[in-house]
Amino acid sequence: MNAQSAPSTAFSSEEAQLRWRRQVRLVSRLKRGNAVALSVLWLITVLVTVIFVAIVLNLVWTGLPALLNPSFYGTSDAGIAPELFNTFYILILTELFLFPISLGAAIYLVEYARQGLLTTAIHFAAETLAGVPSIVLGMFGFLVFSSDLHLSFSRLAGALTLLCLNFPIGLRLYEDALGTVPRELREGSLALGATKWRTIRTVVLPSALPGIVTGLILTAGKIIGEAAALLFTMGLFNPANVFTLDPTIASDTLTTRLYYLKGAGAGTTSLTSAQETLVAAGIAAILILLLLLINIAARSIGRVIQRRLTAA
Amino acid sequence: MQYSQRARLFDQIARTGVFLCAMLLIVIILAVIGFISSKAFNVFFEHGGANFKTFFTVDNWDPTGENDPTGNGIPSFGAFGLILGSIVITVVSVLIVIPLAFGTAIFFTEISPRWLASFLKPLIEIFTGVPSVVIGFLGLTVLVPLLGRLVTPFAASWGILPATAGYGWGAAILVLVIMILPTTLSISIDAFRAVPNEVREASLALGSTRWQMMRKAIIPAASTGLGTAVVLGMARAIGETLAVEMVLGGSSLPKNLFSLSVFFQPNVNITAKIAEDFLETSGVSQDAYWTLAFVLLVISFIFICISRYLANRSAY
Repeated sequence: MNAQSAPSTAFSSEEAQLRWRRQVRLVSRLKRGNAVALSVLWLITVLVTVIFVAIVLNLVWTGLPALLNPSFYGTSDAGIAPELFNTFYILILTELFLFPISLGAAIYLVEYARQGLLTTAIHFAAETLAGVPSIVLGMFGFLVFSSDLHLSFSRLAGALTLLCLNFPIGLRLYEDALGTVPRELREGSLALGATKWRTIRTVVLPSALPGIVTGLILTAGKIIGEAAALLFTMGLFNPANVFTLDPTIASDTLTTRLYYLKGAGAGTTSLTSAQETLVAAGIAAILILLLLLINIAARSIGRVIQRRLTAA
Repeated sequence: MQYSQRARLFDQIARTGVFLCAMLLIVIILAVIGFISSKAFNVFFEHGGANFKTFFTVDNWDPTGENDPTGNGIPSFGAFGLILGSIVITVVSVLIVIPLAFGTAIFFTEISPRWLASFLKPLIEIFTGVPSVVIGFLGLTVLVPLLGRLVTPFAASWGILPATAGYGWGAAILVLVIMILPTTLSISIDAFRAVPNEVREASLALGSTRWQMMRKAIIPAASTGLGTAVVLGMARAIGETLAVEMVLGGSSLPKNLFSLSVFFQPNVNITAKIAEDFLETSGVSQDAYWTLAFVLLVISFIFICISRYLANRSAY
């Protein structure tokens, strides 16, 4: 489209010609602006995607030598067997508190509570707690669990601190899960004469199971990745024998071990600096792979349960 | 009869149980605020403690007095440098994150081909939960040497030590960008998604190009949600600890504050200082760290209040 093809026969005056030309210019300017903006957006998105992918690939690649080395999985200073055990121990111990409590709170908010001052207060408390920096919660755990409750540096103190930290996240995930259950199911059960609790137990919770399992897995990811809140509550060191179920002993996890190797304790371990970096790279790779696994699991397990439930 | 009585009893027990679970949340947050604020002001009233005014205005953080130049071990509580560090790295990293997050989010909801969206979505979710030590490790092994090499030619003229060049605010800012981008991005995506399709259709029907539609209709409509995204990103940035601690590598504010070189030499912020030194202190000097924790708590509380205010104002 250009000025020559203008319908100049009808409006042959100079003014109409001028107006036409101005409009053509405007349209081409808009088109150019549009094209530039869209390509900038493309560029930004590709940049962000490339950064994320590069980080994952870099972590796995630099960790690969450690991952392929059998002594990496041993109990020596260069091995991470104790940390792996501790990480899963603390994961299970925390979920023992976190899962029932945050699911219970979600049940209260979704099933029992009427919209009002109390639910607003609880939601505000959840948002505020979610915004508290994890290092501050770690100091709180140090003060309350480690000092005042005399748990000192222990797995129990760490698990209780992680409960405080992940409570709001768990609550939101389980609230979402319960919220997907249609009203009609509840009403049908209540109309058949079931009590409220029986309705929740036999109708609501089974229907919300996919969402609940997804929530459980996602909170597990948060627990495995946390480190700052554990510095002051669980310590950075292991006792002689870590492979026990004793919740009163201090211990480190994969994350705090990584922090110790490259941060707080760099150069003070029995390893050389290069070995420290190698073990740390291995731990970082394991953490990122665990996280990938957890996200894939959270997606697929929920779907599998859904299919089982609806097909049955 | 007996059955229904028992059922009612169970119902009552369950109701009370889940109510207590929900109440525990309020108890925890009140306990966090109560315990930390009860310790926050001790340092200003104790013998050998701090002065309220100099705590926030003087840059000399030495609560144990081990670096006292007179050698008498007189402690000094000037947290200005730490607070400045936290503010600078938070603000600059958020300024970098804003165009990246908004651009990617609007691309994601308005333009993206499906294959790219379905690739990007899980990637964002994974990075929302990425452990901060992992990013810190990456910053330490990749970013710090890179920035160090970058500034080596200027090291002499800027007066920074080549051995520690690369540590500092610059690396901390980049690490924070990686840490808060996924959070900000996913909240921004939610904000753009919440804009109803009618807004897009109306704008396009009036003859606007796609970019005009985004700029003049969708971004204004999503603005409160975008504000929430930024504020929650800042809340995360100010409290981020270990990733930042690993790349800051300093013990005090550098001397030449008003030059570009300040970003490339070892530096400080609040959270890193707490992580490094909190356990090695006791008594009055430990109370100073509770004051720092209280400062962080207040800042994050303000951010949460702002985000709540924005969410309540949201049109969609």
